[in-house]
This record gives sequence, C-alpha cells and structure tokens, in this order.
Amino acid sequence: MIILGLDALDFSMIERCRCRNLMQTECGQTSLSGFQLERTVVLWASFLTGKNMESAIPVKTQWEFKLKPEETFFPVFKTYEAIDVPAFSLKEKQHAEERRLLKAYFDGEGTVEEYDAVVWKNHEENKKVFLDALGRFDMVMAYFDLADAIGHLSFGIPEKMDKVYKELEETAQEVKSSSNELVLVISDHGMKPVGRYGDHSRNGFYSANRKLGLNLPRITDFRQIIEGVAGNEPS
Amino acid sequence: MENYLLDLERKSISLIREAKAQFRNLGCLWSTGKDSTATVWLCRKAFFGKVPFPVIHIDTGCKFPEIYEFRDRIAKEWDLDLIVARNGEALEKGMSPEKGKLDCCTQLKTEALRDLIKEKEFDALILAIRRDEHGIRAKERYFSPRDEEFHWRYKDQPAEMWDLYVKPSEDFSHMRVHPILHWTELDVWKYVKQEKLPINPLYFADYVKKAYGLENMRYRSLGCKPCTVPIASKAATIDEVVEELAITKIPERSGRAQDKEKAYMMQKLRSLGYM
Repeated sequence: MIILGLDALDFSMIERCRCRNLMQTECGQTSLSGFQLERTVVLWASFLTGKNMESAIPVKTQWEFKLKPEETFFPVFKTYEAIDVPAFSLKEKQHAEERRLLKAYFDGEGTVEEYDAVVWKNHEENKKVFLDALGRFDMVMAYFDLADAIGHLSFGIPEKMDKVYKELEETAQEVKSSSNELVLVISDHGMKPVGRYGDHSRNGFYSANRKLGLNLPRITDFRQIIEGVAGNEPS
Repeated sequence: MENYLLDLERKSISLIREAKAQFRNLGCLWSTGKDSTATVWLCRKAFFGKVPFPVIHIDTGCKFPEIYEFRDRIAKEWDLDLIVARNGEALEKGMSPEKGKLDCCTQLKTEALRDLIKEKEFDALILAIRRDEHGIRAKERYFSPRDEEFHWRYKDQPAEMWDLYVKPSEDFSHMRVHPILHWTELDVWKYVKQEKLPINPLYFADYVKKAYGLENMRYRSLGCKPCTVPIASKAATIDEVVEELAITKIPERSGRAQDKEKAYMMQKLRSLGYM
C-alpha cells in the first residue's frame, strides 16, 4: 500500500489544475467535524491513530509530539517506511528551518524567495527518498508539505500554486506508473486565499485508485480501511 | 439628545452595569482615543459620575505626546483610578517597531496586558471595540470569553438574543465586555459632540498642521506614533469630522501601519503553532 500524505491539498485547486492522477478512481472531501482548529500535527496524528488527538497535543509543543509505532496502523504491515510523517517520523530539522524562515519573513528579516527555495529543496529531497522506497516495503507513506508551505505565503498567486500542483500531480503519476497497490492520496485540510496568503480551510481531500465507497469520511475513519488492506481485522 | 443616540447609550450603560454585577474584578481599557474615552464616559454615567473600577492604559512608550497629556489631564478631571501597564522588560531590551511591528505589538501591548490581568486578577475587561471597525470585529459578541493565551473561539460563540449574555464559568480566563460594539464611528463622533466630550487634538487637521507641519492631514485612529499615519482631511472641528465620515468610503483603520492580511496570517500561523 502507498499513502501520499499531501499537506493542504485543496479539492478546488485539484479541479482547477485538472490533476487527474491526484483524483484517481474515487475522490472527495473529508470531514473535519470534531476538530476546533485545522492543525497539521493534530490531523496527521488523528489519521495515524484513528482517534481525535486535538486535546492530547498542545499547540506550543506539537512539532515535538511523537506517536509510538504501536499507537498507529504501521505495525499491521510486515515492513513499512514512513517518510517525514508528522507526529511519527517528521524530519525536524527541515521543518524547523522552514518555520524559522516563515517567521523571518513576517518579522521583515527574510524574503518569500528564500523561504520558497528551502521548501522546494526539502520537497525534492523527500521525493527522491519516497520514489526509492516504492516497491521495497509492504507499506510506504510519505508526507509532503509543499502545497501548505508555499501556499501560506503565496496561495493567492495562481502561477506559483499551479507550479506546486503540477509537481504534486507528476509525483502522483510516478506512483501510479510504478505500482498496482492500493494508493491513497490524503490531505489534512484544504486552503483558502487571504489576499496573497493562504489560510487552512476545512476541506480536506482524499482519493484512492479503487472504489472505496466513502461519503465525506472523517480523517479518523481511514485507519480501519488501511488495516483492512493489510489483512487484519480493525482494532 | 437624538433618540437613536439615547438608545445606543442606554444599551451600553446596561451592558456596563451587567458586567459590574457579574464580575468580581472588572477593569476598563482606555487608549485615550475617541472610542475608549466615550466608553469611560459611559462608565461614569452608568455609576452616576464615578467609575467604580480601574481604568487601564497600556503604555508602549512610543505613543504621541498628546496621548500622554490627554490621559493624565482627563484621569485627574474625571477622578479615574488609572493603572498604566508597561512591559518594562521588553522596553529595557529595546523592543520597538523597527524590530518587527507585530512582535512589538505582541510584547508591548498583549504581554503587558496579560501580565497585568494576572497581577491584578481581573476577571473581566471592558473594551471599546466596534463591529464596523473591521471584518473580524464584526464577529464579536458583547460578552466574549478569552483563555489565558487570549485565544478567542470565534467559531464557537453563543448567540446573544433577548439580552442574554454568557455567564461567568470555569472555561475561560477572563471575559471581554464590549459595550459600544453596536456603535459606528459616526455614532461615536455624534456622541462626542452631543456630550461635549474632551477629545485628543490629533483628530483635527488644524492641530496636526500646527504641531507637525502637515497640511490637510489628521489622525482618524490613534495608535503608537511610528505605526500610525495621518489621513488626508481638512476636518478641523467635530462637525467637519461628522460631515466627512457621512460620505467617506475609506476604512477607519487605514492609517494603521500593519498590513491586515499579513497581520491576519501571522496571527493565524501562530495559533496553528507554526510560529
């Protein structure tokens, strides 16, 4: 199984950019009912555990929060690789650097270009690791923050976001062409414009390369489906 | 008094009395601008001439000299129990708008207020915000709870129908009370005129020309000196301000230096834990 976790992948943007590979066979929006805020770490932790983790993860220390493997669905697979997954295997240095540059921009000490360059560099690095892992594990999950990170400073700039979605579409195409396994594309939340900037919206997105028959699933519902794929009964 | 101003005043006074009755330790924020001065005046009227709780001025150390002069003069004239709150530590470390406007606001305003609330154990604060000032303020309630981090759950607020407001509970750190939420900028100016309220001279073009040499300019909203710019205006009297506001389409806070979208995003990213 392959899970492509794409931070802030927005359904209307996928349609606008005609991202057929991201949309796959079945796609739709996820429900974030029960969550006060669209916090990245909280939503991915909830996806991994199948439980609403909002009250368990304080805002201030969320980036250090880590789940044990047994709290997630990963151990139901004989072998697995989790690449840069928030609340589990996050590449802390990369994300700390992105957050530092984000703050520098708002403090007037850095530019959007400096920030974008680091986000794209991190994306390329992680993509290489992800593509190398395909076919070598029973389950590969990779998380990419490109749409979220670029979107926060530039969601209102169509040319920039088109480039981001084109890149993610190409990544999905590469996954599709290299595997017959179940491919789940999932985002934690969507994004909406605030002038040139982008703010989290509640329109999470999912897609699969086979019919799952889901209707507005919650992000916490996927654990059961994933464990079903692994041939285990849901816990 | 014009009937509608009387209605606005009645509602505001009843809100102030409700707040005094409900909360153990109430305070009123006073920037010395037209809105908060009108609000302090309403507090005086609500309690027959004497404000029975402290009036708090957050001093960032970089306000206009006219603000300090006005504050001290009116505090004396109106016999106010004035508390001046400063984030001394940040000021000693040289915090200023040059080091980042939003960080400066956070440290010199928000943190100064947070420390004061803790020190004086305020459980409710009266603020002079109005719904017509900004889109986000339009979502406010008359009684609006905040947690220790000043978070406001604007998506989870009760309706305030039939004058039923949120009651004190364990779920929040302090309550914000907004007695002039339903007023407009124009209402405040008409009220200032009606009540013959003292007003900071920076609101008038003739004073700004005399004191700062700026032709046909006046301040429409008062903040810290480095972050507030005057607007183009010839209004030199309250009547002229009223006349001008009746037809203007320029937002009231357009003279504030912070870029709203940028400020919004920064606050949002902070609340999401990015910064």
